[in-house]
Amino acid sequence: MRTELSPRLKLFVYGLMCVLAIPFVFPTWWMVTSSIKPISQIFAFPPEIIPHSFDFSTYRQVFELQPFAQQYFNSAYIALIVTAGTMLFSSMAGYAFARIRFPGANLLFMVVLLGLLIPSEVTIVPLFQMFLRFKMINTHWPLILVPIFGAPSVFATFVMRQFFIALPAELEEAARVDGLGRFKIFWTIALPLARPALAAVAIFTFLSSWNLYLEPIVFLSSPEKFTLPQALTQFVDAYGGPMWNIQLAAATLTALPVLVVFIIAQRQFIEGLAHSGLKG
Amino acid sequence: MAPVTLTNIKKFFGSAEIIRDVSIDIADGEFVALVGPSGCGKSTILRMIAGLEPITGGRLKIGDRIVNELEPKDRDIAMVFQNYALYPHMTVEKNMAFSLEHRGASKAEIAERVRWAADILGLKDMLQRRPGQLSGGQRQRVAMGRAIVRDPAVFLFDEPLSNLDAKLRVVMRGEIKGLHQRLKTTTIYVTHDQVEAMTMADKVVVLNAGRVEQVGAPLDLYDRPANRFVAGFIGSPSMNFIEGTITSEGFAAPGMTLPLPEAVHAHNGARATYGIRPEHFSLSPDGLPAIVSLVEPMGSETQVTMTLGDQPVIGVFRERLRATAGETIHVAPDMSALHIFSADGATRLN
Repeated sequence: MRTELSPRLKLFVYGLMCVLAIPFVFPTWWMVTSSIKPISQIFAFPPEIIPHSFDFSTYRQVFELQPFAQQYFNSAYIALIVTAGTMLFSSMAGYAFARIRFPGANLLFMVVLLGLLIPSEVTIVPLFQMFLRFKMINTHWPLILVPIFGAPSVFATFVMRQFFIALPAELEEAARVDGLGRFKIFWTIALPLARPALAAVAIFTFLSSWNLYLEPIVFLSSPEKFTLPQALTQFVDAYGGPMWNIQLAAATLTALPVLVVFIIAQRQFIEGLAHSGLKG
Repeated sequence: MAPVTLTNIKKFFGSAEIIRDVSIDIADGEFVALVGPSGCGKSTILRMIAGLEPITGGRLKIGDRIVNELEPKDRDIAMVFQNYALYPHMTVEKNMAFSLEHRGASKAEIAERVRWAADILGLKDMLQRRPGQLSGGQRQRVAMGRAIVRDPAVFLFDEPLSNLDAKLRVVMRGEIKGLHQRLKTTTIYVTHDQVEAMTMADKVVVLNAGRVEQVGAPLDLYDRPANRFVAGFIGSPSMNFIEGTITSEGFAAPGMTLPLPEAVHAHNGARATYGIRPEHFSLSPDGLPAIVSLVEPMGSETQVTMTLGDQPVIGVFRERLRATAGETIHVAPDMSALHIFSADGATRLN
């Protein structure tokens, strides 16, 4: 039941929420404002919350100092392929674990889930040796294949399985009576209904690929092959010190698509996690 | 249209036998209701006919084909589910057209069939809506539309009215019955509601614990139940049962002797159950004394809970009885409507 708050209480609640939001909003605000401040003002004390002078040349320099557009493209296309691949595989695997009865299904699912418990640092060396043997070092293949068949996909499979378990079995039975086979039932009935869960999977897979850091620094060595998180570390001066304002301008550009995607899809994201039984 | 024949159908879930040697003959165009309490196996039988549940043993024929091993889509059946099972992401029109599209029907044929079904079921104005925008009754009609649009040999209904309120259930009952009279398609209808079964079906199959207890026309089941289970299941309020012994003087029960028809005296000395429906008591000064414990006036009739001998029984009278609790009335059972069963309730003795 929804209860109406009194105006005074409402003011207090909103005020409290604003205060609690500061630790979450401030880093983003600091990143964006510092990216347009001259470097001397970034470390001024007391800090300038609202900058009084603006220097947008940092955004130009981001593209001059590195092949940033190429790196942006690298991150984008890798994230899109990883997202599409993970959505496809995790939805099929999740559907199979939820709906197809086969001996050892639960045990196999447990084994798959175990993949979540192994940190990527543990597997990175064997993976490096494997990709070296396949002549895939300094290519984007490891950044595509590792997430699609690795931990992000396992988590996505779990989310999709939980969603499909909750889907009424009668819908599939109706589809069987209507003449559909297993794959068509998945494709035309189950998958369209799984849109909220797919949106959740899409967002966190895109985010995890977009933010991937360890794998690019292990597998990539040429700047034109770099992805954005790796590129951000390259904005340094001749002495190896970070060029803060340019780095923060690059960071702002890096964070932008993620923010846009999340704002557009946040309702479905929350709905998807709610359907899958996970809590935020 | 096609006849459906179940011969010695069995179903095991693990080692548990759920359906035990069920044999039912359903004639072409017949409306058959499978009725029984929860867990009696009626929905399992329907799902086996649909092909949604594998058959462990026995033979299932639809038309002249044995269909045990056929997929649901190859059995020429259409099913209406308890929760409608409409595809939520499709419009009403798309829901109804879906099966035809997947069977390769031409666009013109699909449009014509959907229009025909929508006309029959009064869905013309809702074709572009989604199931979420419809009321329970409208969803039920769409589910029926999806079934009839294919013109299948057999309709299967799995408790289709159980999610509707009492008033709408009566309306939809009439609509389903009307649809059957119009299309004359063989229909198998599962329900736990004996009123639905009695009012809609040409033939009722009463099931209990995976077995067929009796098959017959609705009024035959009411007038001559084969055993105590059927007698108790069919009719509302339920039949009164009194335990006792058949004697030459009548039926000796604790605290009273009830009149018996001549034919039953062949079983003199046997323990038995005396069954009488509430509506087969009448008020008579020469009847047996009964102490009233509750009077429930219904308008058209009066339902009285009373103690006859030592037994609590229910009587339903056309008269507007103004008795009060504790008062004694005199009631007489209708001798032509008595049901005498063996002590174990398995066989009828009269």
